[in-house]
Amino acid sequence: MTRLPKQPLLSWKTFMLPPRHTLLAWYNLVHERRRIITALAGVSFAVLLMFVFLGFKNALYDSQTQLLQLLNGDIVIINRIKENMFVPEQFARRRLYQAQAFDGIEEGYALYVATADWKNPETKLIRPLRVLAFNPEEPVLPLPGILENQDQLRLPWTALLDDRSRPEVGPMEAGIDTELMEQQLHVVGTFSLGTDFAAGNGNVVMSDQNFVRYFARLGPEEDSRTLNTVDVGLLTVAPGHDVDVLVQTLSDRLPQDVLVLSKDDFAQRERIYWEENTNIGFVFSLLTTMSFIVGIILVYQILYTDIADHWAEYATMKAMGYTNLNLLAIVLQEAIILAFLGFIPGLLVSLVLYQMAMDATGLLMVLTVQRAMNIFVGTFVMCLVSGAIAVRKVQSTDPAEVFG
Amino acid sequence: MRTPLAWLNLLHERTRLMVAIAGVTFAVTIIFMNLGFLGALALTANQTYASINANIFVISPLTLELSTTEPFPIERIYQAAGIDGVERVMPMYVGYGQWRNPTTRINRAMLMYGVNPNDVVFLMPELQGRETIDALRQPNTVLYDRRSRPEFGPQDPGIETELERRRVTIVGNYDLGGGFAADGTVITSDLNFSRYLEPRPLNLIDFGLIQLDELSLADSTSLAEVKERIQNALPEDVIVLTRDEIAERDRAYWIETTAAGFIFSMGVTVAMIVGTVIVYQILYTDIANHMAEFATLKAMGYRGMFLFKVVIEEAIILACLGYGPGFLVSISLYTLARNATGGTLPVYMDVERAIWVFVLTLIMCTLSGLVSVQKAVQADPAEVFS
Repeated sequence: MTRLPKQPLLSWKTFMLPPRHTLLAWYNLVHERRRIITALAGVSFAVLLMFVFLGFKNALYDSQTQLLQLLNGDIVIINRIKENMFVPEQFARRRLYQAQAFDGIEEGYALYVATADWKNPETKLIRPLRVLAFNPEEPVLPLPGILENQDQLRLPWTALLDDRSRPEVGPMEAGIDTELMEQQLHVVGTFSLGTDFAAGNGNVVMSDQNFVRYFARLGPEEDSRTLNTVDVGLLTVAPGHDVDVLVQTLSDRLPQDVLVLSKDDFAQRERIYWEENTNIGFVFSLLTTMSFIVGIILVYQILYTDIADHWAEYATMKAMGYTNLNLLAIVLQEAIILAFLGFIPGLLVSLVLYQMAMDATGLLMVLTVQRAMNIFVGTFVMCLVSGAIAVRKVQSTDPAEVFG
Repeated sequence: MRTPLAWLNLLHERTRLMVAIAGVTFAVTIIFMNLGFLGALALTANQTYASINANIFVISPLTLELSTTEPFPIERIYQAAGIDGVERVMPMYVGYGQWRNPTTRINRAMLMYGVNPNDVVFLMPELQGRETIDALRQPNTVLYDRRSRPEFGPQDPGIETELERRRVTIVGNYDLGGGFAADGTVITSDLNFSRYLEPRPLNLIDFGLIQLDELSLADSTSLAEVKERIQNALPEDVIVLTRDEIAERDRAYWIETTAAGFIFSMGVTVAMIVGTVIVYQILYTDIANHMAEFATLKAMGYRGMFLFKVVIEEAIILACLGYGPGFLVSISLYTLARNATGGTLPVYMDVERAIWVFVLTLIMCTLSGLVSVQKAVQADPAEVFS
């Protein structure tokens, strides 16, 4: 038996395998085809589970803030008591004009928001849609479908329909004639925005003039709208001016009936509202946490099984003079390989499920590189920790048990 | 005596068994949680309708669910009042008002039920007292749901704050809960309702509530007959539903046409698949480890069928052992969810769900058993010493 060269206790070499060219971890794993497939499937499903529930949680927040992010403006003005986007409180439009007088503010846009009854032209059933209205001359919501159809929007009784609305809305294409608020409506085009948990069914974009047509003379049971009160005011800042400074100035100088926020703060506030003050936010946080716990158990189980199966071999290696650290290194390498190989199919299946969920609900389910990386690091750590726990059993192995 | 082979097989390695049980437990828990939230979606409407003192509900066909209603003329319930078998008709108004938290001064949307104080619309015992009814008759008063989210602020009688920018005083409490539809609810008199939600007139109502006389309630056929008579007598701008039908209509709305319904259904499916994979892992490993023993058994003359039974038995044992703790963990998580949401989220365990999940767990485990059993059944007696 050749003696291993003496090594310092914890150098990088410790984690390399003596004889350096035997890929022991790899062979251990692929030794039995069916077993490695089972193990990979296990890790993939753990990854899938985390992706799906994290995806739902993110979908909630992304969907709630996506409209805010898409709006063209650096500073947002709202009524002070509009705690989130779905409190139907407006502020006086002259605040917007006052704000435009400040040095550094370039443009001020008014956005009108209302909920309208949309008649599905095929089933004749009514669904509430969110109406976003603004002056079509102004780039308030610069989405491709909206910019192209600016001229069409100027015609009376016209609107653009969100093609990511829920299927209950009916066909989503240009040329449809239907009813909105029990008045005629001609759809002149479509754009893509999507639903969220408050505007559950979809969106309609129209000109401010048409907004008055539909909402200025409502039935006796509802408050009518005019263009004098604005739901969300948007301000763009001239280059070279600091947004935060301007927000502070406007907050100090404008009357206290409005709240001035930078767009990021506005989106952040919206997110916090959904995260902390709604049932749905709590529910998704709980489910995400649980999916992570299950993921850890699943991965641990896989690694533990693998080690338990090769117990005799590990004991043999110990008898041959491998140190505990060497064994740890093997197990950790296995963990890393499993994390890598299991992550990829898990990611791919998740992408399919995300697409399915997006099509079915119209929610925004995006998998950013950042989020995928987080889950990958999570899987990796999970595998490492499981491996480290599982290896303790090997380390306590008595070489004499080699044929036990 | 027969040897409990499956049991001993599993018990042989304690740690592995513990991990396996933990795996099944958590799969069961995730299924329970998703079903619980799915159930809460349905229960939201259900428990409100169950608290309303009516046998037949009249609504506009455009009404989507309890809190998204389309008003219709009050004449419809007067028409219904004249029909044979109808004892009493009552209007109910539903709308959202901005409630100001008196402590933080932040507004939040509150679901308001408007009822005529002379009608016994809600069955909650705390609303039946003479004093409560009299207090409700006063201008600018509401009864406040204790199961409203804490963000609405203090709930005690005597609290004064603003509703729709008008002064409001809490004069009593009840327990109802708004579920996913509403974060909080209040009950007002019809006059106060129209005062707060001006210009909303009282001749447009959201729900027509109809009580039938005892004769029509005697059996379900006479109930259906009266319902049909009402439906035939009323124009088509309203639909007539029994309590079960309207609860089912709301349930379908929440589960089939909202994002939340889809998400929780998908959650159940994913949890099922993951649970199956976990159990499969365990069974497969177990079989692989005991291949020699299985081969020996075969060499001794046991049939493939016997080995099949052993594996399936193991699967079922795992299902049972994992289900128990999963059930207990879920119950405490349900409590946690209710507490964390201030009691607004009605997640409760019910017998039907408990049985249903148990069946799902059995299916899940048996399925993994079936996938992995092939290897055991095919054990070659010659492998006995491999």
